[in-house]
Order: sequence, then structure tokens, then C-alpha cells
Amino acid sequence: MAVRKLMDGNEAGAYAAKLARVEVIGVYPITPQTEMVTRLARMVADGELRAKYITTESEHAAMSICAGASAAGARVFTASASQGIVYMEEVLWAVAGQRLPVVMAICNRSIAFAGSVRATHSDSLLQRDNGWIQMYCENSQEVLDTILQAYRIAENRDVYLPVAVCLDAFSLTHTAMPVEIPDQKDVDAFLPPYRHEYVQLDPDIPQEIVYGPEPDDVTEYTYQREVAMQNAKAVIREVDKEYGRRFGRPYGGPLEEYRCDGAEGVLVTMGSITGTAKDVVDEMRGRGEPIGLVKLRAFRPFPSEELRAIAGRVKAIGFVDRNFSLGSAGGGIGCVETARALYPMEKRPTLLDFIIGLEGRDVTPEQVEHIAKRVLDAARTGKAEREVEWVQLRS
Amino acid sequence: MSKEDVHALQLPGHLCCPGCAGPIGSKLILKALGRRVICFGPGGCGGMAVKTVPCFTLHFSGVGTGAGGIAAALEMKGKTDITVLSFAGDGGTSDIGFGKLSACAERNDNIIHLCCDNEGYMMTGIQKSSATPYKAWTTTTPTGKVTWKKDLVMIMAYHYVPYIATATIAYPEDFVGKVKKAAGIQGFKYIHILQPCPTGWRFPSEQTVEISRLAVQTRAWNLYEIEEGTVRITQKPKPKPVKEYLAPQGRFRHLAEPDVEEIQAFVDSQWTRLERLDGRNLWEAQ
Repeated sequence: MAVRKLMDGNEAGAYAAKLARVEVIGVYPITPQTEMVTRLARMVADGELRAKYITTESEHAAMSICAGASAAGARVFTASASQGIVYMEEVLWAVAGQRLPVVMAICNRSIAFAGSVRATHSDSLLQRDNGWIQMYCENSQEVLDTILQAYRIAENRDVYLPVAVCLDAFSLTHTAMPVEIPDQKDVDAFLPPYRHEYVQLDPDIPQEIVYGPEPDDVTEYTYQREVAMQNAKAVIREVDKEYGRRFGRPYGGPLEEYRCDGAEGVLVTMGSITGTAKDVVDEMRGRGEPIGLVKLRAFRPFPSEELRAIAGRVKAIGFVDRNFSLGSAGGGIGCVETARALYPMEKRPTLLDFIIGLEGRDVTPEQVEHIAKRVLDAARTGKAEREVEWVQLRS
Repeated sequence: MSKEDVHALQLPGHLCCPGCAGPIGSKLILKALGRRVICFGPGGCGGMAVKTVPCFTLHFSGVGTGAGGIAAALEMKGKTDITVLSFAGDGGTSDIGFGKLSACAERNDNIIHLCCDNEGYMMTGIQKSSATPYKAWTTTTPTGKVTWKKDLVMIMAYHYVPYIATATIAYPEDFVGKVKKAAGIQGFKYIHILQPCPTGWRFPSEQTVEISRLAVQTRAWNLYEIEEGTVRITQKPKPKPVKEYLAPQGRFRHLAEPDVEEIQAFVDSQWTRLERLDGRNLWEAQ
């Protein structure tokens, strides 16, 4: 029987890893991820989870442990954030290149130039080019569900890519919400034991698994990984559908459309801002304002086709970016990516970008409503008054 | 294992420099252990000899840790008959991967780490490492290194791990015996192998084994093991002056007589220290 429990995102992540029956956990603590891995330590110590729990001296090592263990046939898990993601970056590229289905929780935290520990998506988005699938979560329940989905996606033979499941620092990692914990036998039926069809470290079938192929093969290997990324789009959809059937909670695949029917403008959000934004959309819809919302779950692979389909029905799109790419073509990473996705359309909606919530700065309903109104203005006039707006910038 | 089987563990012909000690060493290791091994190592000179056992590669700085992950997975799968070998050069082991190796040792990961010490970053073209000896020329120490070689063996011994040994290719029985012994021990094992490098040390490629032997005979490299803290010198050759080891190597060509005397004094004091420890336990009160 599934049970309901009040838990924060960190605890939900730990429960998901336990339900996935992970076998090796490589760990290095960092705020705000700490409780996720210490909870797992307790689970292993109490015999609730049969796994090798390996404490390391750095995030680079935690990911290296995961790499070795995954190649040797174990289902692995780790979690990190911020500087930890930057420190392990070298291994992240290798893991994706070696096609190892590692799953990691990223507790989105800004990368220090000032030393904040609060939410910005810069740490995970920095890793958008290396072959990791990236999923963003709205609440604790989605953290648990997405980690379970992540193993099915990562371990799919047409994919074999690592998956990062992202949750915002504090607003998700440390905020308790009701979560339904699925029954172990239902999870077992959804998620069979891990066995990689190609990568196997076994003396009976000796393979050499390198991180650097011959220079003349790199183009082909890179292309193969892109094919896997594109394959992942359908797999994400199918896995989410199946999950919905089994557990009653589908999330819409790579993105969720929220009240987009009849909308003239839509907001695109990632992560915990979504909850606030949905409330605002509800309220504005109640007043008859034609606003909708798209929650981007998968940033990699980027759901260009789905976004195009939505863009074809609306007049303006406002991307809500909890990140910024300094000196970019214009705006945050989400907006720049969306611009490329929409570019081939003959008739494109107006695209606006809103920078908000950096370093965990509180995002209020009033601020989201301000954004929504700007988007609706653009839908009416066909023009963006400002292409990129720093919503919370102090004058 | 038949001779053919031994030869099949490492393919003939390698991409290392002529006279490289690396493939000689890895062949001895595979001969000692046979087929039930999984190798882990960073990219480096060692990867230039193709082994026909499973090999997993991570970055230069991932020393030991990938092997620790493999060992953990094997333990979870109940595969207890496979030895996990972690290879790295002295650059990986004593510099960029040192923290990781230290952590592997502290966790007592069930692996054998082999430090293939050619006393420098040789694959990138002879740069100094912390294992480069005093006064040696490298491309980043063009006038000679001004500090002593890091004593990694003793540093690892003070991680309180079950087995530590030194080796070099000119003493294959000593070498193979230590690898076999390590494979029979549960936990973290560290074997530090001196691997003369004709390219980096500047000596003719046919003299590799001779240089390896001279290192031991002149006590520039001592062969011993530390089992559960107890030190045992495994080779006690009649000593030759260290000059005989330094002179054939171009990397020491610039040495003046006082430099050689200084190195001789260091070598002597190291040997005296080692002899004093012989048969005693490092970890117990002296």
C-alpha cells in the first residue's frame, strides 16, 4: 500500500533512491543536498536499503565511484549541488560519454562568486552540453516520481545516458510537503533490475571502456550520443505515461501544459517557481485573462517540438529564467534555447525573457503577475517592450 | 597458466616508447594474477599496452576511485573472485589523484593500487612530478629539481592499510610475489613500482632492466613491504655507490660532485632508517 508522508525534497530523493534499490551510493556532502545523503546513510545503516554507501573526499570522487560501479553493473545514485557540480564536471562528461545510466539529484544552488547557498539553476544548466538528461521538479512528490522515472529513462537501451533530477535549493530541498510513497512491489514492477546491454566489466567478456575515443571516431560517438538524446524524448513521454498509469501521477512527459487552452500568452517555468505561477495563472484566468503556463520538465533533451506546437497557438511566450548567461545572445539560458527552438516557425510568437529568483530571492505572486501582464501586453501589441527584463532588479 | 595464456593477457607490440618499463611491469602483474581481474586507470603511458582483461578508464585525476566503485559493485553482486587493479603513474598517484587515493586507502577499498613510477609526467613530455628525484632534469625543472622525491610509500603506510610494497622490474620474482600476496589480502593494497623511462631519464632503451637493477643496488630505490604495519626489506644487495646509478642517466648529467655526495648521503640515511625499521611495526610505539 502506498503511504502518505510529509517530507521535503531531500527526503523524497532519498526515498526514491531506496525504492529504486540503488546498489552503490557515492557521497560527498554539500548544502543544500546534505539531508538527502545523510538520510540514505541512515537507511543503509538500519538495513532498510541494501547498498554500498561510500563516503568520498570530493564530488569528483563521488561521481567517479558512481562511474566505476555503474560500469561494473550496479545501479548507482548520488546527489550534489553548486560547487560540487562544478568540481565533478570532468567526470560528468566521461559518464555521459561512456553511456553510463547514472542518476544524480542536483539540488540547484548558485555557483559562488559571492558565496550564497540558495537557488539558481546555473549549476545544472552549466552542464547542459555534456550528454546528461536534465529533469526539473516542481515539488517533493515530483522529485520522488522523477527519480524513479529517471532510472527507467537512463537504463533504456535506446538511451543509456545519465540523468540529473533537479530540485531548487531550500524551496524544495527543505520544504515539507505531503508525498505519496509508492509501494515497493509496485516500484519493482515498474523498474526491473539494472543490466547494461553493452557496457559490462566482466573478465569473461573483456572490454576496454575508455573516456577518450580515437580522434577520428569522435564525430561519430558525439552523433550517437545526440541520437540517444533524441531517442530520450519518446522514452521520457512513454515512461511518464506508464508511470501515470501505474501510480496515477502523469506529468505530461517533457513538459506540462497548464491551462494553455485558449491562452494568448504563456509563461514557461522550471522548478519551484511553477507552483507560484500556477496560482497566479488560476487567478488571472478567473478574471478572464488569457494566460497559460508551460512547465518545462526536461531541459535536456530540449522539447523543441512540443514548444513549437504550443507556440503555434499563442501570440507571446515569456520565459521565466532562474539563471543568467552573461553576454549571451539575449537573456537567460532558457530563453536563448527557446529562441532557437522557435526560429524555424514561419509565424513566431513574440518571445520575452524574465530574469527572476536569482540566489533564491523570493518570487512573489505579484511579480509573476507582472510578468504575465507583460506577456499579455506583447500578445496584444505583437511587440516586446523589453526583450529581457530583470524583474527584481533594484534601481 | 600456460606460457601462451600469459602472453595472451597483454597483446604483443605496444605504443609505448622502445625500452619502456611499463609493459614489462604490467605483463608481470597480469602473469601474477591471470584473467580474473578488472583494471582501472586514467589515460597515461600505461594505456599504451593493450591488455586483454576488462579495462575501465576515467580521467587522470580519478585515481583509485573508479576502482573503488567497481569493487563496491562486485561486492554487491557477490563476485568475490575478481581482483580490481588500479593503475596510475606517479603524476596521478602522488599529485593530481593523491587526495582520491588517500580516500580509497582511508576507506580501505578492496583494490590493489599500482603506482607506476617513472618519476615525472612522461606522456606529456617529461615534466616534473612530486615523485621526480632531487636534482633531476625535466622540461619544467630545466636546471634540476630543487626538492626531494615525496615518500609516497611511507605516506600510504600511515593510512593503516593492510599491505604496502615497493617493486621494480629487474626483480621479477620479488615483484610477482608481492602482487600475488596483495591479491590474497582483503582491503586496500598499495604497490609502488619504479619504472625506468629511457625517454624521460635519458638513457639508451636497451638499458631499462640494468637501470632498474642499479636503482636497487645503489639503494636509490629500496625493495620492501609493509604488512599490517610490519616492515620487511625484501632485497638487501651489496651496495654500490649511487653515482653508478646517476651517471648513465642524462637527466643527472649536470650534477656536480657535491650534488652526487648530497644524494649519496640522502640515500645512505634512507637505508639506515629502513634498516632500523626492518622487522618492526611502524604503527606500534617504537
